[in-house]
Amino acid sequence: MRPLRRAGTAALTASLFLLVAACGNDGSSSSSSSSAGGKTLTWWVMKGTNPDASAFYAAAKKEFKAETGATLKVQEVEWADAHDKLVRAFASGDGPDVSEIGTTWTPEFAAAGGLDDLTSRISSSGMGKDLIPALKDSATYDGKQYGVGWYAGVRAIVYRKDVFDQLGLKPPTNWAQLEQLVKTLKAKKPGMMPMPIAGQSSYASAPFIWGAGGDFATESNGKWTGALDSPQARAGLTFYTNLALKDGSSSVGAATWKETDLLDSFVKGKAAMVIQGNWTPKTAISQNPSLKNEIGAFPIPGKDGGIAPAFLGGSNLAVLKTSKNPDLAWKFISMMTTGDLSTKWADQAGYFPSTTTALKSYANSTDPLVAPFAKAMLDAGKNVPSAPQWGTVEGNQTVTQMLQSILTGTSVDKATTTASNAITKTLNGN
Amino acid sequence: MGTDVEDLSAAGGVRTLPAPAGEARRRPARRGPTLLVRLRPWLLLAAPLAVIAVLLLYPIVRVVYLSFQEYGLKEIISGHPRFVGWANYREAVSGDYLWKTVLPNTVLFALVAVAGTVGLGTLVALLLQALGPRMRAAVIGAALVAWALPAVTGTYVWVWIFDPDSGLVRRALQGAGLLGPDGYNWFTDRLSFYAIAELNVIHHSYPFVAVTLFAGLTTVPQELYEAARLDGANAWQRFWRITVPVLRPVFAVVTVLSTIWDFKVFTQVYLMPGGSGTNPDVLNLGVWSYMKAINQNQYGLGAAIAVLLTLVLLAITAVYLRVLFREEEIR
Repeated sequence: MRPLRRAGTAALTASLFLLVAACGNDGSSSSSSSSAGGKTLTWWVMKGTNPDASAFYAAAKKEFKAETGATLKVQEVEWADAHDKLVRAFASGDGPDVSEIGTTWTPEFAAAGGLDDLTSRISSSGMGKDLIPALKDSATYDGKQYGVGWYAGVRAIVYRKDVFDQLGLKPPTNWAQLEQLVKTLKAKKPGMMPMPIAGQSSYASAPFIWGAGGDFATESNGKWTGALDSPQARAGLTFYTNLALKDGSSSVGAATWKETDLLDSFVKGKAAMVIQGNWTPKTAISQNPSLKNEIGAFPIPGKDGGIAPAFLGGSNLAVLKTSKNPDLAWKFISMMTTGDLSTKWADQAGYFPSTTTALKSYANSTDPLVAPFAKAMLDAGKNVPSAPQWGTVEGNQTVTQMLQSILTGTSVDKATTTASNAITKTLNGN
Repeated sequence: MGTDVEDLSAAGGVRTLPAPAGEARRRPARRGPTLLVRLRPWLLLAAPLAVIAVLLLYPIVRVVYLSFQEYGLKEIISGHPRFVGWANYREAVSGDYLWKTVLPNTVLFALVAVAGTVGLGTLVALLLQALGPRMRAAVIGAALVAWALPAVTGTYVWVWIFDPDSGLVRRALQGAGLLGPDGYNWFTDRLSFYAIAELNVIHHSYPFVAVTLFAGLTTVPQELYEAARLDGANAWQRFWRITVPVLRPVFAVVTVLSTIWDFKVFTQVYLMPGGSGTNPDVLNLGVWSYMKAINQNQYGLGAAIAVLLTLVLLAITAVYLRVLFREEEIR
């Protein structure tokens, strides 16, 4: 027993040290030296599935130095930790001057009083008119604008061209064709999922909810009401989930999949179509180079033709209230969102720029993996309800709970009622 | 860590306790030891107590304080939390969710996990005793790998084994003709979800019990077994009449520790598909508290749930310790 006990003590001591070390490390990593005499500007960038951006950071630093004489400090934050880290930055007051903030979070942080009102700066600079409307909405709270759209992305259906060619299939132009396509693929390509439906990818379901004429929530006289239980939303969700439940387009496992699992199955050649963001085909090809000439994309079709509205995700750049250099921060934002640096970023990260003018050139692109997405974004990009509490609805995972429960056997009526009531309650909370 | 606690309690019951009692009886005669003498134990304890205060006491006090506040994003940014009295606790205990979902998930899971861990650990300890040195090293090695595996890694391994589309279990069951061609998503059903979590947790924590009990087994005098054998006791009887009573303190400690660990299990649930909030049926107290505080920025409510979890744990531990020490006194 002796040696064991000593080992135990040693382990305990070691773990205590580790704990202390971990705490210390945590403290220093989130801190920043923002205002060393107005010379340094700290910027947080989100890191996700986009490729390594160090070359872009170097260019941005150089240009910023040349333009203003100040030093730019770039800190990458993982998307998964970002919300939490921003909250901590607000709490401690030593956050960055400028941060990239997800579009669905911007109203939430603005309403809580964490962001600078940029309305007058934006209108005096004249850049407001060219911003993609859905992005502009996402940064607007109570009539004021708290951020500038930096880049955006939209989801569409990425598909296996080789499989379609082999079976003589064409991209569908309405929902009936989409369902028929799934049935054909299921019958003729039994080893492959026609189109997996992920239970934890809420924004893949949005085009079907919107496409059928439904919505997540509606506002009247400042009061929000959950709308997923409307007949239209129910019809859209029924169609979407029935692809999995009736037509066998998916797998049982996909009920608990995340969006990354969809991409994974596509990369591994297990799925013929997946709903994915426009920044992902690059990732797919880099993970499986044999897909290089075999994949294409088409916008999610509307119910009776056209393009279904698709969730326009993206990021705004915002100035934190705690920043000591708001003028420098604004200068930086205008550099990042207009002109040279903005297109450089869009090209490198695979996202779209945030202005209508810049986006138009992408919609006319000949690249089969760019044009369909840009078209969907330009014609049918739509944002979630711009209620400040929508971020909490995301945090509550209300929509994914609903999807997952439908995919595992709960009736659409029951699941949508539950979700809708939850959304009403959350959006009208303080 | 566990062995420390166990040693302290065993020693406290047998050796250390009588000494101060005797001293105390002698003390009044000499009347008032110097201040230094009275302070000496506290001075010796000062360093560890300071560490505990920083690492444990402050967070506990902070969490309790937080649990009486409305503390969301607005309050964080403005720096002015509002006191709301018992409102967070009222919200946590009102409605069905706590009573029908979260609490049963937590308590039943812990009961099964503790029984499984201690049961399997005991069997492996007995096996180790029966083995020769080489096989013993092999078994201990295999067990320690399971123990040393980080919870995150272990969870991913189990998730992969039970992957609904291509996991080993699916293929094995389909090979045996027990599962249809569509398969089954084990993670969406509350029972099968927790069955997988049980496997994971028991597999991860039995080695500690096995090694601790094996160490205890080596201290049981062999004469007792010989005498029992002469009296014609079989293995079953020898275990229940000799091993269990002699090792009662060790059993008590591994049970208490397992209970504490299994009540506050977090990683193993949170990382399973659906365990991080998309399936509200499978949340336990720990994950629910995290969801409320971190994902939904209701830090006050999250703190209140955490305090409730701590209270449940303290109550259970207190009952255990009472039972343990009462029996010690009788013997």
